[in-house]
Amino acid sequence: MKQLLVALWLALGLGAAAGAADPLGSSRWPDLQREYAGNAPVTFDSRVEVLAPKVAEDSMNVPVTIKFRNLPDVKRVLVVADFNPIVKVLDYQPLLAQPGLSFRIKLQQASPIRALVQTGDGKWYAGGVWVDAAGGGCTAPSTGRSAPDWASTLNQVQARVFHDGQNQRVRLRIMHPMDTGLAPGIPAFYIEQLAVEDASGEAMLRMETFEPLSENPVFSFDLPDTGKAALRVVGRDNNGNRIDAMVQP
Amino acid sequence: MKGLRTTTLSGVLLSAFAALAAPQVMAGVTDKDIEADAKTTTSILSWGMGTEGQRYSPLDKINVKNVKNLVPAWSFSFGGEKQRGQESQPLIINGKMYVTGSYSRLYALDAKTGTKLWQYEHRLPDGIMPCCDVVNRGAAAYGDLVIFSTLDAQLVALDQNTGKVVWKEKIDDYQAGYSNTAAPIIAKGLLLTGVSGGEFGVIGRVEARDPKTGKLVWVRPTVEGHMGYKYDAAGNKTENGISGTLNATWTGDLWKTGGAATWLGGSYDAKTGLAYFGTGNPAPWNSHLRPGDNLFSCSTVAIDVTTGQIKWHFQGTPNDGWDYDGVNEFVTFDMNGKRMGGKADRNGFFYVLDANTGKFERGFPFVNKITWAKGLDAEGRPIFDPANRPGDPAKSADGKKGESVFATPSFLGGKNQMPMAYSPDTGLFYVPANEWGMEIWNEPITYKKGAAYLGAGFTIKTIEDKYIGALRAVDPKTGKIVWEVTNNAPLWGGVMTTKGGLVFWGTPEGFLKAADAKTGKEVWSFQTGTGVVAPPITWEQDGEQYIGVATGWGGAVPLWGGDVAKKVNYLNQGGSMWVFKLHK
Repeated sequence: MKQLLVALWLALGLGAAAGAADPLGSSRWPDLQREYAGNAPVTFDSRVEVLAPKVAEDSMNVPVTIKFRNLPDVKRVLVVADFNPIVKVLDYQPLLAQPGLSFRIKLQQASPIRALVQTGDGKWYAGGVWVDAAGGGCTAPSTGRSAPDWASTLNQVQARVFHDGQNQRVRLRIMHPMDTGLAPGIPAFYIEQLAVEDASGEAMLRMETFEPLSENPVFSFDLPDTGKAALRVVGRDNNGNRIDAMVQP
Repeated sequence: MKGLRTTTLSGVLLSAFAALAAPQVMAGVTDKDIEADAKTTTSILSWGMGTEGQRYSPLDKINVKNVKNLVPAWSFSFGGEKQRGQESQPLIINGKMYVTGSYSRLYALDAKTGTKLWQYEHRLPDGIMPCCDVVNRGAAAYGDLVIFSTLDAQLVALDQNTGKVVWKEKIDDYQAGYSNTAAPIIAKGLLLTGVSGGEFGVIGRVEARDPKTGKLVWVRPTVEGHMGYKYDAAGNKTENGISGTLNATWTGDLWKTGGAATWLGGSYDAKTGLAYFGTGNPAPWNSHLRPGDNLFSCSTVAIDVTTGQIKWHFQGTPNDGWDYDGVNEFVTFDMNGKRMGGKADRNGFFYVLDANTGKFERGFPFVNKITWAKGLDAEGRPIFDPANRPGDPAKSADGKKGESVFATPSFLGGKNQMPMAYSPDTGLFYVPANEWGMEIWNEPITYKKGAAYLGAGFTIKTIEDKYIGALRAVDPKTGKIVWEVTNNAPLWGGVMTTKGGLVFWGTPEGFLKAADAKTGKEVWSFQTGTGVVAPPITWEQDGEQYIGVATGWGGAVPLWGGDVAKKVNYLNQGGSMWVFKLHK
């Protein structure tokens, strides 16, 4: 009887993974699994850590850190927020970077924030936390929207580099309104591609970014130390405005 | 183009993303397709329904006999709160419509059903300075790209299938008064664009770019004295000769802020290899500050697309003192075995020129009343009436205001941005004309970057109560007006004509109308619910002929109301695409 039930589950296309309960107990999880992992099995794994405050002090700027230190051969990290009107936050390829990154997002309401991590063998691992939030982060106009000079600072990059002997931590801030398109009368306007290159033009990390990232988004990455060689930050927004900045160590 | 597989261009040009980029296979719209546009009924690839700008379709499924059965097929709202003037001419490619809207928006729709496929909304800075409403006149197509210009003077190329930005280039600094509203055109594999900003002392120019990348190929200034440039593949620029001769038609340094904005874009004739760009008024408006002809303002400039050199020019209004921009489209056509061009100038004269040489063939008024000139001489140069040039403020008692004159046409012109049509069947041009005048006077002015550079005051006036607008059928061989259909409000919407013997045009009162191309008898009309200030189009799909027009009242007329306001101030705004076909 039990075997028959399992067979039925499989026949219905729900798969074994669908049976794996979401440790965060979110009603959105089956949809997210279908949309972002193509219904492939996803293992909830403590090696994927998402660090964020329990309560968002500022729904427009919720700091998030993702770590996946002990997971080998990570190719891709998808960050999603279940109950945001725009779920996808970023899609990250670490390439040469150390296993982790930090950034800030907008939260519309209390929601799990998750990292879906895919390794070289195609397998998915997930981790996440609930963040409580007063709400409204995604449907409010950016402050840049009302500032008359946003166009003059658009896509300017501020950066700091910290060395610890082995790695360098790169912290970036990019001036951009990151409008979600959900505030009435304000079209979506956001950075959609970002990469850090070494002096030879080779990408050290690369990502696609989406509307829920905070206005003037901030990122931190750990990269192999490149000594005195400069790094280059390149990217563009959904209007085709370019980001191109040299970062001196 | 039919049957060609379309390839999705990956929207990434940066080296860091090269690994993600698909190989750029040339598919979709080709140069050959664009050259055959006017004859191809299933697509519309250029502003003008063919780069010659005839706005003539060889379709006759809808004709004088059955046009009464024309009914709406679908309507699409541009949405948002941005319902301002819609002056756009859509493109039709592989069953998809690409239409631009006010505030630098672009929509991709299923041409048969009106279903929205995607939309792109350009993020505009607060400080944009469009002179005459936040309009856009349409896009160009090349390969898998659809390319349009924005109010902050940028060019954006989008993937036809996804709406993703593939490249974006800045034409110039919007804070200095530059903007862009015209549809780019493709000629000999190059993307040709002009600039807007004639009221701010910008320098008019024509730019040629690689449509696949947006990289500059050449730049040709339209103010005499400025250097043209060529660019190699690496972007290095080299001098390509001065436009005209320095200080030949300008005194002192005034050419440095000379105006002559190419704000309506251009046309191109594959038979001559020339692109024809109209140029705006010289800056400032006060003509006493700039003695001389002020080339190449208020002219048609014919540019050899291969070299980026001016081959000829024809100036309608030398030393313009009335804001008679010569931007109006130069429409090429065959007449008496020769390739000619027709232009209904803002100054009220219709010019017929040799398209190869610019030689003046004929010129005649297409409006009832012209006061600024007594006529044209044998070369087509105006015979000025000095009494009707606004006076020099320096000669007035207090030096602050020159003598005011009443002049016709008004500064909004005998014809403005709304394009005319030409039918090879009837041999007639269909010109959307306006009858109005203005009170105009000059004031002292100095140039300040980013500030209006006029030096004139003006108010627009009606000439009679009955009408301002008049759609006129004009015979380029005789200069006769064969028929006219008058309209209470000024016409602002452009014209299209077909082998079906029909002429289509819209009115600010909201009607899209059709008339018999031979007689001018009105045979059909439809109330679209808001003013029409855009040119209609027609195409064929799955055996049926469609008619389309963007609707939405706006443009320059409501902004410069004067005495004309009472004919237009009750009109409501909108923002829609309307499409019609014969009901079965």
